[in-house]
Parts: sequence; C-alpha cells; structure tokens
Amino acid sequence: MIEVNGLYKRYHNHRYNDWVLKDVNLTIPRGVSVGLVGPNGAGKSTLLRLIGGMDTPERGEVKRRCRVSWPIGLTGGFKGSMTGRQNVQFVARVHGGGGQGVKRVIELVEEFAEIGSAFDRPVQTYSSGMRSRLAFGLSLAFDFDVYLSDEATSVGDRAFKAKAKQAFRDRVGKASLIMVSHGEAILREMCQAGIFLYEGRAQWFDEIDDAIAAYHDTSGMPDPAPLREARKATRKARQELRAAKAAHAQAQAEGAGQAHLDTLTASIKRKREQLRQHKATLAAFKEPTDDDD
Amino acid sequence: MPEANSSNGGVRTPWQVARSVWFAMFMRETISRTMADRFAWFWMIFEPVAFVGIFIAIRTMIRGDRFVIGADFIPWLIVGLMGFFLFREGMNRPVGAIEANQGLFAYRQVLPIDPVLVRIVLEGLLRTFIFLIFIVGGIMLGLDLYADLPMFAMWAWLSLWALGAGAGLTISAAAALVPEIGRVVKMISLPLMLISGVIIPMSLKSYHLQQLMLYNPIAHAIEFLRLGFFENYKTVSGISMLYVWMFALALIALGMILHLRFAEELKAK
Repeated sequence: MIEVNGLYKRYHNHRYNDWVLKDVNLTIPRGVSVGLVGPNGAGKSTLLRLIGGMDTPERGEVKRRCRVSWPIGLTGGFKGSMTGRQNVQFVARVHGGGGQGVKRVIELVEEFAEIGSAFDRPVQTYSSGMRSRLAFGLSLAFDFDVYLSDEATSVGDRAFKAKAKQAFRDRVGKASLIMVSHGEAILREMCQAGIFLYEGRAQWFDEIDDAIAAYHDTSGMPDPAPLREARKATRKARQELRAAKAAHAQAQAEGAGQAHLDTLTASIKRKREQLRQHKATLAAFKEPTDDDD
Repeated sequence: MPEANSSNGGVRTPWQVARSVWFAMFMRETISRTMADRFAWFWMIFEPVAFVGIFIAIRTMIRGDRFVIGADFIPWLIVGLMGFFLFREGMNRPVGAIEANQGLFAYRQVLPIDPVLVRIVLEGLLRTFIFLIFIVGGIMLGLDLYADLPMFAMWAWLSLWALGAGAGLTISAAAALVPEIGRVVKMISLPLMLISGVIIPMSLKSYHLQQLMLYNPIAHAIEFLRLGFFENYKTVSGISMLYVWMFALALIALGMILHLRFAEELKAK
C-alpha cells in the first residue's frame, strides 16, 4: 500500500516556480495497478518520481509500505565505460542479497535482455534499444511489490515489447504497476485503476476507463464514443476480410470453378475497400487524440 | 525508512544498506578508475615521476641541494610531493563525484555522500600503493627513501589523508551547490603546493614568512611526514600535529554537516 498525504511539489527555476503538484492525497491499495493520465506537464512523471523516492516533496509525505522499484527502463545510472554485466552487478550489490543474490540477478538480466555477447561489452557501445533492454531486464530481476513505469513499454522492437508485456502479465497478482503512459491501449490492458492529473491536482478513479474519459473530457477532445465505435467497426471489417481470404484459399484448394473464384476475389476486394474506409475513419478520430497504441 | 532486501524479502537495517552501497560503489569506482582507461595506471605512476624529474632538473640547475638540512634532496622532494598529492587528490577527486554519479541517486539507497566517501578511500589506497612503489623503486635505485621512523611516517601520512578527506567532503558539497567553487579549487591547487613547502624548504624562508606559512595545516603535515622519513631532518620550529588534526576533524565534521543538511539539494541537481 502506498499512501500520499498532502503532497506539494515545485521546482525552483529562475522565475517560473508554480506548483507542479498541489495537495495530492492518494491511497494506492496493494495489488492494484494504476495508470497515470493527464496532459503534458500535469505532473505525472513528478508524481512517479516522488512515489519512487527519487525526489522529495516540499510539503506532505509519501508512505511506502512495500517494496517500490525505481522507474523501469532507467538508463541514467549506467556507466558507459563499464560492461553491461558490471553495471548490473553494481545495482545488484546496492540492493544486497549477498554473492548468491547478485549472481542470480545477473543471470536473470542476461537471460531477459537477450543482447548476447554485448552483455560483456561497454554500455557506451550499445544502441539505445539495447540499453533499454538491459535497463528493463534489470528492473524485472528484482522482486518488487510495485513497479514504476514511465513510458517504459514504448521502447524496444516488437518482439521485445511483447516480451515486456508478457513479463508484466506474469506478475499480476504478485506485483502491481504504477504507470505513466500516453498509450491508452496499454493502460487499459495493464491497469485497473486510474489517477487523472490536471493542473497539479490528482483525482482517483477505480476504473482506468473513467480516468481516461475524464482526461478526454478536460482536454476538449471529441467524445470517445464514436472513436470506440470506429475501432469496433475496423476490427469487424478486418475479421470479414480474413474470412473472405480464407474462403478464397479454400475454394482454390478444392478446385472450384473460375466463376466462383472470381466472385470470391471480388468479395475480397470489396471487403478490403471497406476495411480501408473504416481505418480512415478511425485515423480521422485518432488524429486529434493521437495517443493510442 | 526500511529498505527491502531483494533476495530474501527481509528488511535491511540502514547500516546494512550503507555497507552494501559502499561495497558496490567501491568496486565500481575501482574498476572504472583502474581498468576502464588503458593508461589509467600509467598516468598514476608517470605523473609523479614526471613532476619529480622536472623539479630535480630545475633544482640541480640552481644548485638547491645544499639547502635541505639533514636529508637528501631527491628523497626529500619525493616524500613531499607524494604527501601533497595524497592531499590534493583527496580534495579534488570528490568534487566531481556527485555530478558523475547523479544517475545513481535514482536508486533510493544511494546518497550523495556515498560516492564522495568511496572516492576518498579509494584515492587514499591508490596513493598509498603508488607511494610504496616509489619507496621500493627508490630504495632499489639507491635513494635513501627508507622511513627512519615508520610509525611516525604512517601517522603523518594518515593525517594528510584525513586533511584531504575533510577538504574533499566540504568542497564536494560546496561545489555541487555553487559550481564556481569547484573551478576555484582546481585553480588553487598549484599555488597551494608552493605555499605548503613542497618544493622549496620552508626553512629557507624568512621568519615572518614562516609564521604565515604555518597557518597552512598541509605544510605542518608534510614537514611531519619528512621528519618520519629522515630522522635528522631539520624542520621549521612551530609545527604541530594537533593543529593538523584539529583542522582535519573540523573539515570532516563541516563536510558531513553540509552533506547532511543539503542532501536533497545535492540529489536533485
């Protein structure tokens, strides 16, 4: 359980020092994954940093009654001149556990990151994707109760993204997530509850969909209902196209007449055209919101 | 705030957390300091060698050997330079430590003072090791680098280390808060060497100048170090170990207070 009481935070710059967070009070129950939504600059990352203990609030307090990770995918702590293995070893040592624990963490990270021999090369020779893989693997190697994620799932290639999502799914029940993301699909998938941040204030929603809806309302975006409709229609069109293609392939395999094949081909063409139209509609909806995975 | 132990689910005490952080940072710093750069070791040994060589060349040209009473000039210079380098590295190395390790403060367990302490200890060990290499090398070359009063020399060496640690702790916190301080400190390290009597014996200076120079605790400690190496060395009068240690402990305390008071500011930079 994480308790946030009367939290105030501002950054001291030259002139501009408005409150980033004003009187934030939250209780995040154990085992509930939470998505943080809100416009840029609303204080999502700041709140995440405060929960993670990387920063201290001006007023108020954060009570962490469980093991909270550092933000997943953090690459800032890597020393470029040292190898991936040495960097992982360092973090493992900081977190204790003795020689065995350190060894186990290194093995887990090496296995998860899948960067092969690069694991023993200096981190400065890594591509940004490799760096992220290493950082991601490092976070998952420790058994935290709550993982913090600041757009962490947006890194890596398709295969790695899928693997990262799977890793989180496997932990459901054992650990929870607090994630900041503009990818609403992933928020809907991973989180149950939501926190909507707006102008320094935080609002708790038991359902992530409600939090996203509140975010959409204040951002002056079109009602997400037609968008949802368009998404549904697209999915349906895609299924129909697939069915038509399957029918065509089957007819061909069975050696059907040319006329029959021609009608099936025409049907595929028609379905494809429909899907294209639906996609265009969806894209037209999506463009203003621009935040779907 | 109890920290979680990742392997057995137990809660570690703050002391256990600090110890594992120090151990991890020490290993990290050691690796990056001695192995990451191919020439790291070469420079660590070559720099004092080059320094000694240059000064010996200058001093033999102006026939300065006779001015040091009770000791050979070259061993005298080596001991002084090594002692001063111990202090200088203890003061300079921690300055960049906080900035260089900014990324690590994301791990809640790491505090800004940790990299500073680790660097102070590591520099002390490295300098001691290099000094031992010099002593062994010097003896093999026939120089009188054997400490006549070993315990006394070690105590003086330790006092220089403590002095450097105090300066390092204080300046690392101050320089992270006010970056200009770091620049000034880098600038004064050469003048500091001149006023600490490293190259020119203090006994050559006039009495009034000596009294002024004796405000500098480094000069005291270096004279003591030489006394430990050369039993018959004639130091200036008025040097005091108590003065050195008072200075060192005051600086260490001040540095720790600064690190404690401004821990959040140092982290958040």
